Amino acid sequence: MHSKTLFKQDFLKKWVLGLQYYGCSTKEMSISERTKAIKLSSDVAMASCRDGKTCWSRAVITDASKQGENKSLVRKILGNEYEKLTKYSIRSLVCNKRVRSKKILRKSRKSRPLVVLASTVIAKRMVNKRTRMLKDLVPGGDSIDDSFLLEETLDYILSLKAQVDVMRRFVSASESLICK
Amino acid sequence: MENEKFFGVNETNITTPLSQPPLSFFKSSQRPSDLLLPSNNCFLNLNWENSMDHQQSAQFESALSSMVSSPTNIASSSSPSQLPSREDSFVIRELIGRLGSICNSGSGRGDICSGGTFSSNTSCYTTPLDSPPKLNLSMMDQQHGNLPHFPSLVPLPTPDPGFAERAARFSCFTGQFGPEMSYRSTTNTPRVDNGRLSRVSSNKDFGLEMEMRSGFNAVSRSTTPDNAGLRDESSALSEQIPVDDEANLKGPRKRKAASKAKSKTSAIDDANNSNAKRSKAGEAVEANGTNSINTEGKETKNTEKVVPEPLKDYIHVRARRGQATDSHSLAERVRREKISERMKFLQDLVPGCNKVTGKAVMLDEIINYVQSLQRQVEFLSMKLATVNPRLDFNMEALLSKDIRGSMPQLSGVYPLDSSAASGGAFTYVHDSSPQQGPPQLQNEAAQYFVNSSDPGLRLFPLDGFGEAASQFAAFWGDDLESVVQMGFSQNQSGISIDGSLPSAHMKVEL
Repeated sequence: MHSKTLFKQDFLKKWVLGLQYYGCSTKEMSISERTKAIKLSSDVAMASCRDGKTCWSRAVITDASKQGENKSLVRKILGNEYEKLTKYSIRSLVCNKRVRSKKILRKSRKSRPLVVLASTVIAKRMVNKRTRMLKDLVPGGDSIDDSFLLEETLDYILSLKAQVDVMRRFVSASESLICK
Repeated sequence: MENEKFFGVNETNITTPLSQPPLSFFKSSQRPSDLLLPSNNCFLNLNWENSMDHQQSAQFESALSSMVSSPTNIASSSSPSQLPSREDSFVIRELIGRLGSICNSGSGRGDICSGGTFSSNTSCYTTPLDSPPKLNLSMMDQQHGNLPHFPSLVPLPTPDPGFAERAARFSCFTGQFGPEMSYRSTTNTPRVDNGRLSRVSSNKDFGLEMEMRSGFNAVSRSTTPDNAGLRDESSALSEQIPVDDEANLKGPRKRKAASKAKSKTSAIDDANNSNAKRSKAGEAVEANGTNSINTEGKETKNTEKVVPEPLKDYIHVRARRGQATDSHSLAERVRREKISERMKFLQDLVPGCNKVTGKAVMLDEIINYVQSLQRQVEFLSMKLATVNPRLDFNMEALLSKDIRGSMPQLSGVYPLDSSAASGGAFTYVHDSSPQQGPPQLQNEAAQYFVNSSDPGLRLFPLDGFGEAASQFAAFWGDDLESVVQMGFSQNQSGISIDGSLPSAHMKVEL
């Protein structure tokens, strides 16, 4: 419970840093841009709270820092840890490439003629399909093993919960400020 | 030795006439002369647990105390259910599976039936189909010969002091056995796929034990006067069983060991060399244990506390004729175990997932949950973007409010807050849908979420942020407004709920 609170505080701090970064920029933004910016900053803040311990956080950070305009935001949020955390980008890129080739393989395998399926095969296929879906959902999930994927999902769900919680507080706080 | 032969004989036993199976059976146990007695014995063994209550003397108290308390309960609970079925020999055949387990417990098999393992035993009650019937049937026809009236026999408290001693011995070997077996039950119950596998294992070593026990019974009947020899046998037999469980990698070796111990037990008739034999048997068992430890590489030294792997390995070995013992399948097994463990955690974490069985459905739930959380983040950032026309938040005021509002609450009333917050997460979209509600509700919420957020994403690039507030309602119509209204109503309800809290952070929290 205590670590959760700490995580939330940490996240809030970093998120506010990211928001300040956008606040400092004088450029006017549309709602969608602002939405994207807020989402990105919150995601990066949440990922940076995990200190690169998990795959998904590293994937979020590397994905964010891939785009040139977001790099400075990521740098601002991460601060000193920027170099350390973005190091992983090379590895994840390699992983992505490998996965791409796997996908090609899978496609070619699909052309096989279908045999009459046993129920176990169907069940396995269902599980595989859902696992693939989950891999798409969890950032950086493409390149990890199934058992590891579930671990990542656990961590990701917990972090998302914390993120949603903090964001809701933030929203309600700003709403109450405006209503005054 | 006769393990395979025994099984083969066993299966034929079901079809062969009644008197035939015991013959071949006890021939294998080298006591053909005691044809009638062993069955009698194993029938009387039913009362062992009961008789223990009456006859346990001070010298056996320690052994009896080491016995798990539940076997007596099980025996007492199982024996009444068994009484009517015993009277009808035809019913017995139909209820072979059930009687198999019962007969098991009745014949002094404290180890499988003891304690919580009863459930595991009943779960595999279809498997002993081949092994118990011969006991039952032999018991039946010999009971007809000896004692025509069963019910009078069953409640009969055994006056034989040898029974008490044997009971005590069995109790002590159930005692030494209890942890492992109860452990097996604990590994069986949480995992679904494990149960199926353990059926095989329990079936197999069950058969083996049946064989050995009947051998033991035969020998015991013949050598009832010398209890020391009996004790030896029982110790050898009882220690044989864990070896069966553990020497999973070495199927042939296990059989060899079984035969060795078997010959040993049959050789042990004299009370004179009992000590030497006992120590020898113990050594053999220990050697087997170390063998399995060496081959496993995962087992702990303590044979009573077995790690989950050996059991499953054993099962796999039995299932695949000793082929799945290479490192790949071991690693695969470990991986699967890891996955199921994580699945359990996720089941606890994801709401509405604890009632779901099946990996695919659970993954569905998890995917839905992750998606809903991601959409919530999106939605919240969107909301924040609409609330703050420019991103220069008044950080000081906001943070002071936010921190003041959230932090004491975070540290203080956290459980209340978390439940309310997570509950409110869904009520953003779907009015007052409880978090623990059925999955369809959440799906509905997620669906609604998609419907409401997608057009917004498409439309937002069109309007400048200045007139966003005015266009906002026009574009989104009732959808988002109702959502926002809901949010506000949620807010107010939250305030009304937390009315006892100071007003400083009432507005901040939801």
